[in-house]
Amino acid sequence: MSLLTHASPPLLPKVDAILVLDSDGNRLAGKYYGDFMKAASTSSSEGNNTSQQSVEQLRQSFERQLQSKISGIVAAPNAAEVVTVLGKTAVFCGGSPPGQSGSVRVVHIGPVGESELVLAHLVEGMYEALSHLMGGSTDRNMILDNLELVFLLIDEHCDGGIILETDGHKLASSVLLRDEAEASRNQQESMAGGGKGGMGGMGGFGGMGGDMTIAQALRQAREQIMSNLNQN
Amino acid sequence: MANEEEGLTVNNLFSEVTSALDKFKLEDDSPTDYYSPYANLEKASVLHEARCFHDPTAVRESPRKCCTVIAQLLHLTNTGQYLNSAEATEVFFGVTKLFMSDDASLRRMVYLFIKEVAETCDPDDVIIVTSSLTKDMTCDVDLYRANALRVLARIIDGAMLGAIERYVKQAVVDSSGQVSSAALVSATHLFERNAESAAIVKRWISEITEATSSPNEMVQFHAMQLLYQIKKHDRLGMQKLVTQFSQRNTLKSPLALVLLVRYTAKLLHDEVAEGRVGSTSFQNGSQFARAGYAFLEASLRHKSEMVVYEAGKAICALPNIEPQELSPAVNVMQLFLSSPKPAVRFAAIKTVSQVAVNHPRIVSKCNEDLEALIADANRSIATLAITTLLKTGSENSVDRLLKQISVFLSEIPDEYKITIVKSLQRLCFTYPSKHRVLVGFLSNFLREEGGFEFKRSIVNSIISLIKAVPETTESSLLHLCEFIEDCEFTMLSTQILHLLGELGPGTPSPARYIRFIYNRVILENSAVRAAAVAALSKFAARCPSLRTSVMTLLKRSLDDEDDETRDRASVAVSVLKGAMEEFPYVPPPQDVEPDAEPVPDEPQPGDPAAFILLQGLPMSFDRLDRSIRAYMRAPAAMESPEQLTLSTLPVVEETEPEHDEKDINEVVGDAALQAAVAGQKEEKKEVVDPAAAVYAIPELASLGRVFRSSPPTELSEEETEYVVRCIKHVMPEHIVLQFLIQNTVEDQRLTNCTVAIEGDSECFEVAGEIAAESIKYGETANAFTVINRNTDAALAPCSFECVLRFGVVQVDPKSGEDESDAYDEEYPLEELELATSDFMAKVSVPDFRKAWEEVGNANEVLEKFALQFKKQEDAVAAVIDFLGMQPCDGTGHIKPGEGGKKPHMLHLSGVFVGGRNVLARAQVAASGDAAGVLLKIAVRSDDSDVSRMVADCIR
Repeated sequence: MSLLTHASPPLLPKVDAILVLDSDGNRLAGKYYGDFMKAASTSSSEGNNTSQQSVEQLRQSFERQLQSKISGIVAAPNAAEVVTVLGKTAVFCGGSPPGQSGSVRVVHIGPVGESELVLAHLVEGMYEALSHLMGGSTDRNMILDNLELVFLLIDEHCDGGIILETDGHKLASSVLLRDEAEASRNQQESMAGGGKGGMGGMGGFGGMGGDMTIAQALRQAREQIMSNLNQN
Repeated sequence: MANEEEGLTVNNLFSEVTSALDKFKLEDDSPTDYYSPYANLEKASVLHEARCFHDPTAVRESPRKCCTVIAQLLHLTNTGQYLNSAEATEVFFGVTKLFMSDDASLRRMVYLFIKEVAETCDPDDVIIVTSSLTKDMTCDVDLYRANALRVLARIIDGAMLGAIERYVKQAVVDSSGQVSSAALVSATHLFERNAESAAIVKRWISEITEATSSPNEMVQFHAMQLLYQIKKHDRLGMQKLVTQFSQRNTLKSPLALVLLVRYTAKLLHDEVAEGRVGSTSFQNGSQFARAGYAFLEASLRHKSEMVVYEAGKAICALPNIEPQELSPAVNVMQLFLSSPKPAVRFAAIKTVSQVAVNHPRIVSKCNEDLEALIADANRSIATLAITTLLKTGSENSVDRLLKQISVFLSEIPDEYKITIVKSLQRLCFTYPSKHRVLVGFLSNFLREEGGFEFKRSIVNSIISLIKAVPETTESSLLHLCEFIEDCEFTMLSTQILHLLGELGPGTPSPARYIRFIYNRVILENSAVRAAAVAALSKFAARCPSLRTSVMTLLKRSLDDEDDETRDRASVAVSVLKGAMEEFPYVPPPQDVEPDAEPVPDEPQPGDPAAFILLQGLPMSFDRLDRSIRAYMRAPAAMESPEQLTLSTLPVVEETEPEHDEKDINEVVGDAALQAAVAGQKEEKKEVVDPAAAVYAIPELASLGRVFRSSPPTELSEEETEYVVRCIKHVMPEHIVLQFLIQNTVEDQRLTNCTVAIEGDSECFEVAGEIAAESIKYGETANAFTVINRNTDAALAPCSFECVLRFGVVQVDPKSGEDESDAYDEEYPLEELELATSDFMAKVSVPDFRKAWEEVGNANEVLEKFALQFKKQEDAVAAVIDFLGMQPCDGTGHIKPGEGGKKPHMLHLSGVFVGGRNVLARAQVAASGDAAGVLLKIAVRSDDSDVSRMVADCIR
């Protein structure tokens, strides 16, 4: 009895970790919050190398266990899947069938008492924003080429474990430094002309939306060639 | 890399294609087939790149490059290459230069980087960006304001917060949702950080309340969240808040409503815990209980699934809820069970399986939906569905269910199978008449593919079923015999062989097991052969009719290549030979005494007497282990001239029973979760010997060995100035009272603390005290008082008046230096009681019935009492508590569903000071009327005085 009844829903909902994993379970980007997967001995200010190494090992072993549970499961962008790992609830979107490379997985780790529906809401929001930012394709290479957008997305989505924003479009606009109102007026249009307020350098990000599909097409073509060649 | 920076042109397209072709030429040693700015990052080279931050031209001309470098720095942690403190600080100073640039995306990356690095750098260094951030926080660009705020919240302390308070407060009610959310979330972090910041955040309560009516949904959510954090210790304030929001219906954000539901549920739990709801339903409870329940119930009809689920889950988890109040929530869960979304199904099945523990009947209406879920693609959902069905299903649905499970089981991982095996085991306890089907089913599993843990869980389940449902013994043993014919796990084979040796000879036809066992002797590795030989010799010892044939088999092992097997065989052969000569087997009369004893299963130290070995050790290995450890802990134990025998070993008390774990298994479907729990338990196992504190003091150690130590008793209220607890260490002729004294007064240091005790008793006399010399604020120290026990006088319970005597020295709380001389002070404590149960160690006996017969009724004391308890369970618990003895054979708890109907038989055992074994049988029966409970108790020991004393413990 003791365990689950005590695991009542948290009154200050916090996420323990947000991970973006490729189909082999490698962490492409991720953020751990609070004390989760942090060795008790870690001295934060000293930057002690050995203890940080062990934090990394701790995380990697956690991710391995996570991967063993989620590999091969594909979750639609609007229907997150759930597994439990080491007493934590892991909810994710994306993924690819075994043996194929496809979409990355966005995984949210929450405490066992947290509602799976809330976590699913979060992960679906972030996944939507991610695929919007990546021009519709969320394969590994696309993510790796645009990591800074992923970092920013995680930051706009969650601040120190507390949920900041869940709406996919708003998240994407924040990452692309577009104004909220304008973004909602002009959602599908990915061309970013001005924005407002004369913020220089905005084009740096703005221009990307259009190019990304070309980049992606190219990459896919290249991969196709590579795989064909490799088969021969 | 260059391609990405300049954007794609036709030229780049060509270069992409050529690079692909190049790759083809070089394919032998290029594992990566693309080139990313983040692939194969080296810390050193990234740090080198980062020097460009110091170059103003580079920063101005190519902000894009700076962005990439920052992202690369951040990515290093992804690959496990953490920056050390010095590196982080250097990069950090470089990054601060980037504030020169007006590029928005670069600024955004700078914010992100400062946040990431703030943890690794020296806080004093980080502070220097405060002015830049404060400037950004007051500018007119929403994105800058929101982000600067969030960064600031990470790095500032309470004093600085005071300085910028005005801006943050304004930001809370900013027209931009982004800024407002950022301010509220930052405030939530600050509120948790330290008391100083929390006090400041509290001053913004009217702004925060205003934010709850923001048109932006996330702002509503963040404001609710913070409002609760501020008010959470104010029950009435919180109730008012929750009532307001639930009635006004202004919250539009589903997440905010989820929070509101949680707060309501929390308050309802508190209402119940503090007794304001009573035993009636919530609808008839206090005003808040009514309104709260009504709100939860109404939320079941909200349009957002998230809110509906939260309300349903909250209702299901309410304590003492009436079935009709639970029903609407279960209906909602039932709908969710067939949702297309896996997360929804998972959440629903988890909740339903928890409800099924206490209300299987209400859940049984979902049975059809549950059965559909057995085929769910998500294996966690399917497993939970099965375990729930096993709880809610009726007896006649068992067979159908088993059929479904057997299809399912072949395709899931072991950890889920283990969960299901455990539920099957419980099901068999519930419906013992189904044991034949269930045991057959379990043994089918045994033949399937599976890992060690899975097989072991089945074997353990079958074994525990044999214990609980004796009728299963024969069929189960035969199933297990078949299993070891083809078992790859040595540990399981030996365990089963041992079990066969224990139980096989007692079955009606023991001969049928011999073949299975002997096959092991021929075919297996040495460990299994040894176990098989041991099992065979037990058959021979217990069944004289089999001796001649078993002898023939055992003799073949006399030249076994393994020493252990050979030794066991030769001991068995020689003992049996002697026994057979002395008492030759005469076929018809079966009552030849099995006087001879074969080899023991395990090497026995010290005691070769054969008949004792048949019964195994007088204590479990675990107990023997703890007992020897306790022996070694006592000072000078190793030099003692006294011979070490089993009976001179110190008595160790039973540790906490394991029923906790069982309960967890009952609720939790997922094995991984259980593994996590088991891990925690193992950590807890490291018990510190409470007597160590006594042994550490030479004067006390010389008094002898501590027989038992009581758990600490509180002698003061919690949260008083001086918190005192007492541990009673009982020795054969003394009692050492260990007082743990904690000083909670910040500006005092206590000196020379003792606890003076005064009691009126013939058998106890205070012999001496050891004072705690000095106790600083927040520390706990020990003072000891030694009592002599007059062993000639009969032991009678006695209570002592206790007074804490000490000197007080005033100290400066800041520096910790003394400010005055000590003056004497007294502080009254609660009474301390020495009861007979303090002299009793909780020690279980392996076989209560046998032990009971052996002690005999020569010194038996019989008593009858009428006890003033309303419930049978309470009476049973009280009797255990009065006597301080260990319940045996699981009689310590009344089985669920049986309470009140039948008289309950309680078996207790213990060891009284001086090493006397005491056994008690107590019958607790509800007397027809509500007047109380009738107790009949029989106490046996080898000393009638002790028996009498124990029986007199009942009050």
